[in-house]
Amino acid sequence: MSPLPPELSTELHRLVTAVDNPREAAVDVMYALQHHYGYLCDEAMHRAAEVLGMTTLELESLATFYDYLYRRPVGRYVIHVCDSVVCWMFHQDSIFDYLCRTLGVPPGGTTEDGLFTVLPAACVGNCHNAPTMLINGRFYDRLTPEAVDAVIAELRAGTEEPVRCK
Amino acid sequence: MPDLIIDGRPVTVDKGVSVIEAAERAGVMIPRFCWHKSLGAAGACRLCAVMFVEGPVKGLEMSCMTPAADGMVVETGHPKAVAFRRQIIELLMANHPHDCPVCDEGGHCLLQDETISGGHSLRRFPGRKRTYQDQNLGPFIQHEMNRCIHCYRCARFYQDYCGYRDFGPMQNANRVYFGRFEDGPLDNPFAGNLADLCPTGTLTDKPGRFVARRWDCQRAPSVCLHCSLGCNVTALSRYRRVARIEARDNAAINGAFICDRGRYGFGYQSAQERPRAPLAAGRPATPEEALRAAAGLLAAAAKRHGPDAVAVVGGQRSTMETQAALIALARAAGWRAPAFFAAAREQAQARQALYALTPPRARSLADLAKADAVLVVGVSPLADAPMLTLTLRQAARAGAAIFLADPRPLALPLDHVHLPLAPRQLAAVLAVAAAGEDASGLIQQKFPLAPELWPRLEALAQAMAKAKRPALAYAPALAASLPGDDRVGLFPVLAQAGTAGAALLAPTDAPGLDELAAELAAGRIKAVIAVETDLFAAAPALAARLDALEALVVLDHLPTPTVAAAQVFLPTATLFETGGTLAASDGRLQRAEPVQAPGLSVLADGAGDHPPRDYARPLPGTDPAPAAFWCDRLGRALSLELPRHPLAEALAAHPVLADLDPVTLPAEGQRPTYPGREPATPESPPAQPAAEGLAVVMETPFFGGDELSRYAPLTADKTGPAVALLHPDDAAGLNLADGATVALDCGDAPATAAVRLHPGVARGVVVVPRLPRFDALPPNLGPCGLRRRETP
Amino acid sequence: MQVDIPQVLFKNRHLGRPATIDEYMAGGGYEALRATIGQRTPAEVLQLVLDADLRGRGGAGFPAGRKWQGIPADHVGTRYVVINTDEMEPGTFKDRVLVNVDPHLVIEGIILCAYAVGACEGVFFIRPSYEGDAKLIEQETQVARERGYLGKNILGTEFCFDVHVHRSAGRYICGEASAQIKAISGLRPNPRKGGPRTSVRGLWDCPTIVNNLETLANLPGIVRNGPAWFKSLARSESGSGTKLYSVSGMVARPGCYELPIGVTIRDIIFTHAGGMPPGKTFKTVIPGGASTPYLPETLLDLEMDFDPMKKAGQRFGTASLMVFDKDTCLVGATLSLMEFFARESCGWCTPCREGIPYVRELLRRIEGGEGTEEHIGMLQEMLPVLDLAYCAFAPGAAEPLRGLLTHFMDEVRAHITEKRCPFGNPPPHVRGKACGTRPPQFGPTPCPEDQCPI
Ligand SMILES: Cc1cc2nc3c(=O)[nH]c(=O)nc-3n(C[C@H](O)[C@H](O)[C@H](O)COP(=O)(O)O)c2cc1C
Ligand code: SF4
Ligand code: SF4
Ligand code: SF4
Ligand code: FES
Ligand code: FES
Repeated sequence: MSPLPPELSTELHRLVTAVDNPREAAVDVMYALQHHYGYLCDEAMHRAAEVLGMTTLELESLATFYDYLYRRPVGRYVIHVCDSVVCWMFHQDSIFDYLCRTLGVPPGGTTEDGLFTVLPAACVGNCHNAPTMLINGRFYDRLTPEAVDAVIAELRAGTEEPVRCK
Repeated sequence: MPDLIIDGRPVTVDKGVSVIEAAERAGVMIPRFCWHKSLGAAGACRLCAVMFVEGPVKGLEMSCMTPAADGMVVETGHPKAVAFRRQIIELLMANHPHDCPVCDEGGHCLLQDETISGGHSLRRFPGRKRTYQDQNLGPFIQHEMNRCIHCYRCARFYQDYCGYRDFGPMQNANRVYFGRFEDGPLDNPFAGNLADLCPTGTLTDKPGRFVARRWDCQRAPSVCLHCSLGCNVTALSRYRRVARIEARDNAAINGAFICDRGRYGFGYQSAQERPRAPLAAGRPATPEEALRAAAGLLAAAAKRHGPDAVAVVGGQRSTMETQAALIALARAAGWRAPAFFAAAREQAQARQALYALTPPRARSLADLAKADAVLVVGVSPLADAPMLTLTLRQAARAGAAIFLADPRPLALPLDHVHLPLAPRQLAAVLAVAAAGEDASGLIQQKFPLAPELWPRLEALAQAMAKAKRPALAYAPALAASLPGDDRVGLFPVLAQAGTAGAALLAPTDAPGLDELAAELAAGRIKAVIAVETDLFAAAPALAARLDALEALVVLDHLPTPTVAAAQVFLPTATLFETGGTLAASDGRLQRAEPVQAPGLSVLADGAGDHPPRDYARPLPGTDPAPAAFWCDRLGRALSLELPRHPLAEALAAHPVLADLDPVTLPAEGQRPTYPGREPATPESPPAQPAAEGLAVVMETPFFGGDELSRYAPLTADKTGPAVALLHPDDAAGLNLADGATVALDCGDAPATAAVRLHPGVARGVVVVPRLPRFDALPPNLGPCGLRRRETP
Repeated sequence: MQVDIPQVLFKNRHLGRPATIDEYMAGGGYEALRATIGQRTPAEVLQLVLDADLRGRGGAGFPAGRKWQGIPADHVGTRYVVINTDEMEPGTFKDRVLVNVDPHLVIEGIILCAYAVGACEGVFFIRPSYEGDAKLIEQETQVARERGYLGKNILGTEFCFDVHVHRSAGRYICGEASAQIKAISGLRPNPRKGGPRTSVRGLWDCPTIVNNLETLANLPGIVRNGPAWFKSLARSESGSGTKLYSVSGMVARPGCYELPIGVTIRDIIFTHAGGMPPGKTFKTVIPGGASTPYLPETLLDLEMDFDPMKKAGQRFGTASLMVFDKDTCLVGATLSLMEFFARESCGWCTPCREGIPYVRELLRRIEGGEGTEEHIGMLQEMLPVLDLAYCAFAPGAAEPLRGLLTHFMDEVRAHITEKRCPFGNPPPHVRGKACGTRPPQFGPTPCPEDQCPI
């Protein structure tokens, strides 16, 4: 394991000491490591276990429970496409399929350039703007194929700083 | 005390008891998967639904989650309840592979039972079945996740009950997976219970896998021989080979569980190396020839040098039948009384430890779990009495304060306070524990050099003074220092499974092995008969002079070096073949039944081929006989008058055990009424002065540390490394770094070990594992007893 | 929006951005707090809330005051307030809107609650897709801290209280109160039933009050204007206060509306949300979020309030109305809901872990034209099984299915007789469902029933 950058070590330490019981920081620590490694690789899990004084199994129990912690490599932009009932009503399916088609990935797949991963997601709380998707903490409303093209192009062009879910 | 009616049967239970348990007491078994007597309710499987027709709860409800209440009328067979349960089964079977023919659980599977008795026989669900990948969980537990019904028993046992954290649930929804972070052996030394607990074939006993169907096995209630606690087990045997060991319920001792040492240490019974043929003059012989040779040699030695020249050594892993027969033989022949202990003092201490168990003070393991403060002295639970660990954990979970005073570092899965103190300081801990709330003066007086321990000792004194149900678990060496206070419950932990029996039966004036060694050295002993004991481990000083003997007669079932040195050898049967009576460390006598005949397993006979069909030959491997039988035959060959039932007569004549009948012991065992302090017991030995050098403390490896599991193939190779543990301060004083190789002085051949520094070791102590190479270490290593060895 | 409807929680919505602390205070913000801390006893605050009959806005409608009373009076030591902002029920987005309108209203409500129950620490539990709102709360609590409303010795009194944000990593079950406490504790969020309530033994084994964010946002108004005023806000007899209604689906103006408790469903959809979009006709509405049943057109004049809805066999839930038009297939809609529930379950108990995927599989078959009459029976038999699950998750999932089988059986049968979806939906995909969390080396591979490649 290569050493963590000092800022990250400091940040992890801050997260653990900010709460009464280190266990409470488990998810935050995993988010921070996910941000650093791009996803929660095994090394990240071992790091988290060290920092938190928990076993890797305990952390795996949590990481695999939640859907915003990624235990497999994902792209720089994880596209959470809402597939719950309101968005479904507005033909989310076609948005989802459109995304997969344009990006050339299967559901859950990552583009070859490592930029995009498409995941179906539970209602993201933006139903009045259905159909919708969430990319790195930002909502995209009332999607149409044209709007999706524009978003992808915009992200590709790198005009958007990645604001990962912290 | 709620009164309720379940299926027409009235039952009264204590407050807080769940309906499923109340039903069990009324003789009604409500279907269940997740509820377990020892783990409690989880409410996860929803199979225990019953109809509440009257009372405070109405309608369909889970019987495991509902406490029994006055006026409840419960119908387990209500049509709605039956329909609901059938659907639960249908849901569980929707993803279950139904591969019973190749499943090791088949035939003793709760899922099978509930599926068939629930009437679910045809699949109507059209969907696909879920599949998982399995993990390698190490040598003992086999993992086949597809069969899992997600009752969470394994996870609750592993994490909550035992406190280990490397196995558990992962994922969510219908993807939940029980396993480890990655392949690898389970940390939990009680993990074998998963095979018993899991109601399906998901977690099964790996060594027993595909060995035999459970219904094909001969089964018998037995008692574990791998430590002194006397946990109850069921032995399963097939084709004259013990196939596996399962936990057997004894509410007072082990409850529903046992440890992995007890579960996987049985292999000595069918080991290839097990000596099965009698030897005379070092050569295979018929039993009659061997008996004649033994009798001849012993009689000759007695005749030439007097009967005192014959020394008798008994074992602490034998049944009381064997011990009593040996004592009777020695007495009838006029030989020296059998030595069972390293020193006469140890024998007296062990007896004293047991005699202290008067009715108000005696505690069982189950009682210990209910204590609110426990002090453990001179015992390393995982090494000396594994199941004590789980008991302490349950007490700790219920809020008890747990203190352990022991020189060895402890890695226990429970909240506890460790007092790392040298053996000679332990008696003073007992004094502190009995001193009442304000013990600081005493503490500073007794432990002037360990101020870092004062706060912990003060906490101990306060906890013991405040507790309503305080208890003490102790090694016999501390028996003379026990507090007299009747409030404090007592629980001794002895050396081996036969220690209590030996301490109770051996004549009070029996010599110790140290005395025999000295007598041998002085030329006053010319013959030794050793029964089920390895002299090289139990009495290295004696073993070193075996050459000086005219006769060495050995009876055993383990291939020990002592057997190899014997002139005459008689193979004895194991507990699995003889059954017998054993006294547990809590003073209770229990009975083990034989599970099979001593013959050679058909697997071994014929060396992997089909058994040879040599009809002229007697059944192969049938020579082993109970040690008590050989004693009797030897007596007859010597024309001695021997009692017909040595144990029964020994008990009848015993001051404490006279009321017990070994044949009619109740299932949970029986504890005689111990008298308290024996009038004639020696006072506690004077506290040893702090000797120069290091006190040697042995730590029994979890596997392969006790003599039986040392010869069991499954556990023999799992003893762990030969390390010498030192406190960092001591190591610094000796100029030793972590990892240095040292030679420890074991007489002629120094034993080497790697040094490990551990702050949990008491100062002035070196801890080594109980391995053959360290058997001859003296109790104290002088200044030159531990030297650095240059690594080659 | 009609002007005559009192806007209490959305008073500052006209700004179109989160109100600053000064804007909030200009409208009387933090007055309730000033008039309370050091002026009223906690018991007096509790009494106000009891008198106002404030019922929980998180779905169950449990009276907030009664919940607070559950804290053992003799408990010395830490008490916690958990602000439930998980809001993962499909169709619900009111908490997000509220935080974005008036963060300090929420913060003042939290402090008032903490004062009433004697809590010293608050945990703001928020779902991952609301990261922006988490940041906003962090920023605005810092502002409140600087003004002396949070932290040690609030307003110069002995009262100390602070709140921190706990970020969740997803899953609907984390919204359930006991599961949420476990999630905060770094444990698997399986709910806990039996044993003491969370108000007795919650976070770190201390008494803990879990309330929905909107519930707490009502406190400043109640404390400032009194219980009588709060009750008068409602239109129904038994109700009190206003409510944030999340309206989505086939309506002209989907969005979040603050309206009195007790307005009729018809009023909400057809007056406030602008009615159906051009060319669409109303079929049904799920009135209270994904765990409430479809409501038939005949009940449109029902008052939106806990008790009247319950009496009519409906559920108020989170008052999240999802409107369906005549062209939308309800088998498909129910299937989509089941996909959601199946994926978000905690996996603890059999009815939910195995039962919802069972229902989902049957609905997939029916929607794809492969259903049989037997499947309908199997679905019906599964309802009482889901109802008897360990927590309220699976019974909630049963509600839309029950609604479908009760009011729209014709539609289900049409799928079976026509052997296809009468609305022309293609057969449902069996497709990956967001389990990008799974490590490759173990586990159900490929994902057992979703066949998700990741
Ligand atoms: C499956 C499930 C999910 C829930 N999700 C939420 C939620 O996202 N937000 C919420 O406030 N309450 C949710 N609840 C309700 C909470 O359990 C709890 O009743 C509520 O937070 C209490 O607050 P209240 O009394 O203010 O409504 C959920 C309940 C269940 C059973
Ligand atoms: S592995 Fe066995 S004990 Fe564990 S949940 Fe599955 S069926 Fe139950
Ligand atoms: S604790 Fe002792 S008696 Fe019990 S199973 Fe383990 S070794 Fe055997
Ligand atoms: S109903 Fe059961 S499986 Fe579903 S969320 Fe609740 S406890 Fe978990
Ligand atoms: S249903 Fe898609 S955001 Fe709510
Ligand atoms: S035994 Fe009661 S729910 Fe499993």
